[in-house]
Amino acid sequence: MPTLSELVVRIADDDAAFATALAAVDATPAAARATALDALKIAWVGRKSGRIADLMALLPTLPPADRKAFGQQVNALKQRVEQALAEREATVAATRRPAHAVDLTLPGRAPLLGHRHPLSLVREEVQQIFTRLGYQVLEGPEIEDDWHNFEALNMHADHPARDMQDTLYLNEPLHATPHAPWAAASSARARAPQPLTLLRTHTSAMQIRYMEQHDPPVRLVAIGPVYRRDNLDLTHTPMFHQCEGLVVGKGITLAHLKGTLLAMAEALFGAGTDVRFRPSFFPYTEPSAEVDVRCISCAGTGCAVCKHTGWLEILGSGMVHPAVFEAVGYDPAEVTGFAFGMGIERVAMLKWDVGDIRLFYENDLRFLEQFSV
Amino acid sequence: MKVLYSWLRDYVSVPDGPAELGRRLSLRGLALEGLEPVAAGPAPDDAVPVGDDAVIDFDVTANRPDCLSVVGIAREVAAVYGLPLRMPGPEAPGHLRTARMAGADAASFTVTLDAPDLCPRFAGAAAGVRVAPSPAWMQHRLQALGVRPISNVVDVTNYVMLELGQPMHAFDHARLAGDAIVVRQARPGETLVTLDGKTRTLAPPQLVVADRDRAAAIGGVMGGLDSEVKDTTSRIVLEAAWWRPRSIRATSKALGLKTEASTRFERGADPTGQARAIARALALLEILGAGAADGPLVDAVAIPHVAPAIALTHAHVEGLLGMPVPVEAVERILHALGFSADATGPGAWRVTVPGWRPDVTRPEDLIEEVGRHHGFEHLPATFPPVLQAPPPSDPRIARDAVARRVMLALGFSEAISFAFIEAAAAEPFAAGAAPIALANPLSETFAVMRPSVLPGVVDAVSHNRRHGRRDVRVFEIATAFAAAGERRSLAAAWTGAAGGDHWSGGRRDVDFFDIAGAVEQIGRAYGVAATLAPDVPPYLVAGRAAAVAVDGATVGVCGLLDPAVAERRGIPRADAADVFVLELALDALATAAPPGATRVTPLPRFPAVVRDLALLVDDTLSAQSLRDTIRKAGGDSLISVELFDRFDPKKGDGKVSLAFRLTFQAPDRTLLDDEVQHSLVRIHQVAVAEHGAVRR
Repeated sequence: MPTLSELVVRIADDDAAFATALAAVDATPAAARATALDALKIAWVGRKSGRIADLMALLPTLPPADRKAFGQQVNALKQRVEQALAEREATVAATRRPAHAVDLTLPGRAPLLGHRHPLSLVREEVQQIFTRLGYQVLEGPEIEDDWHNFEALNMHADHPARDMQDTLYLNEPLHATPHAPWAAASSARARAPQPLTLLRTHTSAMQIRYMEQHDPPVRLVAIGPVYRRDNLDLTHTPMFHQCEGLVVGKGITLAHLKGTLLAMAEALFGAGTDVRFRPSFFPYTEPSAEVDVRCISCAGTGCAVCKHTGWLEILGSGMVHPAVFEAVGYDPAEVTGFAFGMGIERVAMLKWDVGDIRLFYENDLRFLEQFSV
Repeated sequence: MKVLYSWLRDYVSVPDGPAELGRRLSLRGLALEGLEPVAAGPAPDDAVPVGDDAVIDFDVTANRPDCLSVVGIAREVAAVYGLPLRMPGPEAPGHLRTARMAGADAASFTVTLDAPDLCPRFAGAAAGVRVAPSPAWMQHRLQALGVRPISNVVDVTNYVMLELGQPMHAFDHARLAGDAIVVRQARPGETLVTLDGKTRTLAPPQLVVADRDRAAAIGGVMGGLDSEVKDTTSRIVLEAAWWRPRSIRATSKALGLKTEASTRFERGADPTGQARAIARALALLEILGAGAADGPLVDAVAIPHVAPAIALTHAHVEGLLGMPVPVEAVERILHALGFSADATGPGAWRVTVPGWRPDVTRPEDLIEEVGRHHGFEHLPATFPPVLQAPPPSDPRIARDAVARRVMLALGFSEAISFAFIEAAAAEPFAAGAAPIALANPLSETFAVMRPSVLPGVVDAVSHNRRHGRRDVRVFEIATAFAAAGERRSLAAAWTGAAGGDHWSGGRRDVDFFDIAGAVEQIGRAYGVAATLAPDVPPYLVAGRAAAVAVDGATVGVCGLLDPAVAERRGIPRADAADVFVLELALDALATAAPPGATRVTPLPRFPAVVRDLALLVDDTLSAQSLRDTIRKAGGDSLISVELFDRFDPKKGDGKVSLAFRLTFQAPDRTLLDDEVQHSLVRIHQVAVAEHGAVRR
């Protein structure tokens, strides 16, 4: 017959054996742990053949005086084992999928959404800014006549400014009436349609078309593609997009232009954006100014983007030349106005740090998909 | 225009170094184009020495011919810094002096102006010369500005051109026949070998400077080789003339000959600067020990220059700029730039324009001068008043946005492509008409205006396929061009997956019904019912493509692109047979129904009854005609007919089963079962009668 002290040693051995077995279960891979834990449970607290049951079976073999002490020690071991098993089971249960569960991390079925072209995004942003500022937004013909693109804009046949823009001409003049849903039914100042001979070199042509059709005050932006005979390189494409602004009325000043462009720059590039005017020359404005924004990349301290000047050129502008007013039948003694023309590509390149303008025209989905849907 | 910093300091004692000078001038209208530091080189003995020197390159705008000279730029510098300008003149010290011309001697030649409108002034003088290299300082200055030194005599003429902006020419007196110089139009076919050794064939109204027998120079453009100054030359005739800009521009363009002289004359030289240039050149010849005047100044003036006068008011200045500019500042700036402003009243002037400013003709031009030198940085940021609600924007903007939204929602990404394309790319889409061609395209790649927007999206597919992208969906909203004018078009291309590209399977490639479904959705967005008809243009595959019509008018196409067309645009052969496209004329769609013009239909108050009907018909019968039959026979209470299944039970027997879901509903009552049954029977009877249909 075993003595109590012998059995206490055995309880202690079992305790150590359980700890080892538990550690082995903990070390099994997650996928096999539940099975190992089940086996451990049967081996230890199984009703018939578990090792706890085996110990309990020895109880009657002890003298009655020792039975209580032995029973208490076996029960204590049983509790430790059961508690440890319960903890492990809870952990295993927590990681086990509920019935019918799916792997939540598999890719979902995402219907394809298209991506907007960055030029389209900038265009819409500019439209919204100027709509908010009370402007009418217009589009106009892309094939133009000489009058609207050059002559009426104070760019006469022998004007040096015609050297500045190399124009793409049609092989044969087109005798079509440019479609303009915004045009007034008739206007005394509008000219008879002329043969269309060229691709417009700037949206400024729209200034003329609109003023011929409408009396002042005028407050418009015209947006769309324009064409120049420029070879493709990092910063030039023979077609690009412009946004033209025109405000005409009594007492319009260059300071009004500055306030307007400052508001636009802040809306496009963020609050605190600064603008500066540099005197320049355009045949259709007097005075004329190139407008720079404070470099959005370095905030004016100088970097490669702004060629260490702290400023980025974004548009040309000025006060409408009196000769332009005369060409459309406005009285320059009565009204003044400002006008500006901005490249949409230029804004997009600055906004998103696009280093090569040609990317806008390749329609490579790897590029387009970087823009919002 | 390049200027040498140390040369500039001959005329103005600018305190700043080259970099800061460039920065300040950039804000006053002379944009700094480049700055190249150079070591200090040889200089005239009396010049103020500088430490490090630099070549400053300014971008001179087309309206400022005066700034194509060192003195012209010095004048701007003087105005910016409020410093005096030291002009070359008879009183000027040292190497800046000009010659005092002797008056009474007889000249050795005469000048006749035969084309006074195009050359109204020609100043000349004879000089005895000893031809040799010019001194190091002059060679250094010329080279810094990109002009090659040749000999003292030629270098002096170039130096004066760069200094004062007045191009000059020196003829070898001995090579001029007779003593009468004539400025006349070239004779038709007249030839002249120019200094560059090329034989030029001239024609009126191009101008020549001629001796008794023949042309000796192309006026204002280039001299003749025969009368050029050589080492042996001992007597020269100096020329300083004024040529009408458009005449020089036309001649230069016609001959393809652009020179330092023609560049200055075609923008407009100072019409009062000829005699001064001669006097300056003669003084420099003397200073260099290269020669001296031999006879008086011959100054032929056919049309004297009248300096324009412009009335300017202070109110106009401040009214146009929108900033305060003190009266004194207006006067100071105009004076510094060489204008004379005579007060005609309080805050009013009569401003006389100097000859070197042909760009200034109106008060606004003067206001620009005042504004830029006062400083645009002083402009306040104010807002123009809004006096009326803006008129509506171009309706096309909102209209096109509808199509854009639909296409994006259908998974198409937005493309933008060039409006000019290769003639070969346009040809399939031009419907037999010649596309609008450009007279001077950049290259054959951009030769004609696209007759359709499809070539752009097809090229986008091609680009993406060639860059390893199997599934491509792109659209573009842009202008297409034809003899009748411009039209706005929506074009799209779709290749590869149509959906179900998922780990769970179900991937399917695009087919006709996908592109037709896109057309249907666009029509729905515009509130129109688009119908499809089998007549298609040759760039689509008949039987797998359709013409799209709204209210009987064709508004576009959709379907499978001809694989040959796709392959010609660089789409790999393996994929060329799977490109589906659509193109819709947005102008036509919008005419049919302006977006947003629909009204809400109240929800029905009585329940609907739904019945399915499957009919076995010939497989050649179009679903559309069977559906039309059902609609007609179904009566008013049949509110919807939807085809939901197509099934071929016995392959090869030419029969197909079409199953329709029919919805019956009345607006004013609950339909009785009998009524619906009656309708179904009638539909069946008519389908049997008209199409030999069998109910399944």
